[in-house]
Amino acid sequence: MIHADDGILSQEQRLMRDSCRSFVDDVVTPFIRSNWQREWDMSPGERLPGSILEGAEAIGIRTLGVPEEFGGIDLDRETEVRTFALIAEEIARGDSGLADKLVQNWKVSIVIRQFAAKHLQEKWFPRLLEDPKFLLAHCLTEPRGASDRWLPYNVPEASMHTRAVLDGDHWVINGRKQFISNGFDASLYVVYANTDPSVGMLQGTSSFLVPRETPGLTVTKCNETMGCRFMNNGELVFEDCRVPADHLLVKSTALASAGQYFRAGKIIQAAKNLGVGVACFERTADYVQNYVQGGRILIKHQAVALRLADMATRIEAVRSLVERASKAVDEAHPDADILCNMAKVYASEEIMKVATHALELHGGNGAMLEFGIEKLFRDAAIFLHMDATVDVSRMKIIKNMFPATAGKYAGPET
Amino acid sequence: MKILVAVKRVADPNVKVRALADGSGVDLANVKMTMNPFDEIAVEEAVRLKEAGRANEIVVVSIGPEKSAETLRTALAMGADRGLLVRTEATVEPLAVAKILKAVAEAEKPDVIITGKQAIDDDANQTGQMLSALLGWGQGTFASKLVVGDKAIEVTREIDGGLQTVSLALPALVTADLRLNEPRYASLPNIMKAKKKPIDERTPADYGVAVEPRLTVVRVHEPATRKAGIKVGSVGELVERLRMEAGVL
Repeated sequence: MIHADDGILSQEQRLMRDSCRSFVDDVVTPFIRSNWQREWDMSPGERLPGSILEGAEAIGIRTLGVPEEFGGIDLDRETEVRTFALIAEEIARGDSGLADKLVQNWKVSIVIRQFAAKHLQEKWFPRLLEDPKFLLAHCLTEPRGASDRWLPYNVPEASMHTRAVLDGDHWVINGRKQFISNGFDASLYVVYANTDPSVGMLQGTSSFLVPRETPGLTVTKCNETMGCRFMNNGELVFEDCRVPADHLLVKSTALASAGQYFRAGKIIQAAKNLGVGVACFERTADYVQNYVQGGRILIKHQAVALRLADMATRIEAVRSLVERASKAVDEAHPDADILCNMAKVYASEEIMKVATHALELHGGNGAMLEFGIEKLFRDAAIFLHMDATVDVSRMKIIKNMFPATAGKYAGPET
Repeated sequence: MKILVAVKRVADPNVKVRALADGSGVDLANVKMTMNPFDEIAVEEAVRLKEAGRANEIVVVSIGPEKSAETLRTALAMGADRGLLVRTEATVEPLAVAKILKAVAEAEKPDVIITGKQAIDDDANQTGQMLSALLGWGQGTFASKLVVGDKAIEVTREIDGGLQTVSLALPALVTADLRLNEPRYASLPNIMKAKKKPIDERTPADYGVAVEPRLTVVRVHEPATRKAGIKVGSVGELVERLRMEAGVL
C-alpha cells in the first residue's frame, strides 16, 4: 500500500524506481532534514548545494527526456509518461523543489526533441548533458496571467503581450514573462510569444528557443515562494531580444502543438504531488507509532487511527487516477487531456488534506520548522496553484468534455 | 582479465522480517528483495577494476528463482557485461552453491572471482571459502583493499585486531568486506542499457549438482523481546538493585 504496486511496473521501471529511492533515502532526505534552514537562504543560487545536483546527475535523473542518440536515455516511449510519473514521485518524496527543478528539464526536452531543428538539438542536448547545473525553462505565463486568461475565449484580446516580429533573418522578442519554473537559473529557455495579433491565442502564438546569454534577455528576479523552495522561480524581460530565424520552434500554433508537453506536465505535476503525500504519510505513520500520549502510542487512540486511514485512502485514490491518466497520455487516448487535468487537480486538493492531517497528527511538532512537517504542508499548498489553479483546471476539464457549450465565446464585455 | 562475480538475491536489509508462524522459516511473501549488500560491493569492485583498465570482462552469476534475474540486471546496470542465472526454486546450501560456482568457473575460466563475504539472509559466510577449496585456488577473504597485478593479486584483509595483506597467485578468489568500497547507484540510463545485455539461463542439473539440502531447519524464531528497563534515582539505588534484584554483585 501507499507506494506503487510493483506488479504493474516493468523490470526496468522497478529498478529505476529503486535506484532513485535509494538516492533519495541516502542523500536527499538526510540533507533536507538536517539542513532545514537552507530553504530560507536568501541567495537563491546558494540554496541547494551542488553535491545534491551532482548526486542527481550520477543516477541520471536530470536529463530524462533527452533522446539516446544525443547521449540521453532510451526510455520505452510507450510507457515514458508513466516512467516520468514514477521517478518524479520518488524525487518529490525527498524534496518537491528538487523534483521541480529536474522535471522541468524532462518536460522542456520533449519540446526541443519534437520541434527544434536537428542542428539545434545537436548543439544543446550535449551541453545539457555535460553540465550538472544546466537547467531548462518553459516561458508561458505573463504578468497579466496565463491559462486563466486565454482559457475561456480564444480571441485576439486575450492574446499574449509578449510579441515576436520577424526582422530579416532574426526574430525580435519584446515582453515580460513571470512565474517561470527554473526561470532564475536556466541556461536555455523555450519562450512563447504572439506573432499574429489579429487572431486568437491558439492560432497566433509561436515558440522560440532562447539561450540565456542572448542580448536583450534579462532575468530580473527570483520569486520567493512559500514551498518548493529549492526550485528557483524567476521573472524575465525581453527587450529587442534577437534570436536567429531557425530558433523558431513552432509557428502560430505553438500552444496547440505543445499538447505533449502539457499533458506530460500535468501528470508529472500530479506525481510530484503524490510524492509529497507519500512523504506525509510515511513521516506520520512513523510518528504515531512512536510518540506517546496518555501512556499509549498515538496510533492506539482511535481518532488518530481514523485520520491515518483517511490519509492512506486519499493517497491510494490519487495514485489510481494518476496511473489511469498517465496510461491514457502514453497511449494518446482521446480522453487524455481531460484525465491529466483531473489527476492534477484531484491530487492537489487531496494531498493538501493529507498534509493537513500530517500537520495535525504531529501536534505542536507539526508547526516547528526543524521538524519538517510544516515544509511538507507548504510544499503541498504550492500544487494548488502551480501549472494552473484548481478552478482553471476544472474549467479545462469541462471545456474538453463539452466543447460546443462550455468553450463558447460570449463576446467582449461592454 | 576476466572477473566472475557471484551475487545473491536476499531480503532488503532495511526491511524488518518475521518468522513464519509454524517456525519453518522466514516469511518472505511481499517482502522487498534486493542484491546482498556485500555482493553489491563485489560488483562495484569489479566495475572499478574494469574502469581502471585492469579487467576487460565482468560476468555476474546468481543462483536462485526466476526473480534473481532482476538482481543480475542490477549488476549489469552497475557495469557488468553479461549475466548467468542458474535457476532453481530450492533453497541452495553453501556447499551446493560452491559446487555450482566451481562448474561455472571451469566453464568461464575467470582470472578472479569476487563475491560478498557472506549473504545477509543466513549469514553463513562459507561459500567463498568452500569454492576456493573446491577449485584449489588461493583465497583472500574479508577484503578491504585489492591491488591487482599481472600474475598476482594483493588483498588486504580485515582480521581480528588489524589488517593482514596476502598475495595470491592468479586465478584467485576474493570475498568483499564492508569497507572495500561504496557501491554506486545504478543510473537510469544504464538500467535501460542493461536491458540489452545478455543473461543466460541454466539449472543446477546442467552442472550435475544436486541441490537437495543436507541440513534440516529445526526451528526459526524471532529473538526474545527484551523487557523494558527502569530508571533509578541514584547510584546507591543502582548498586542496591544490582545486588538484591539482579544478583550480579
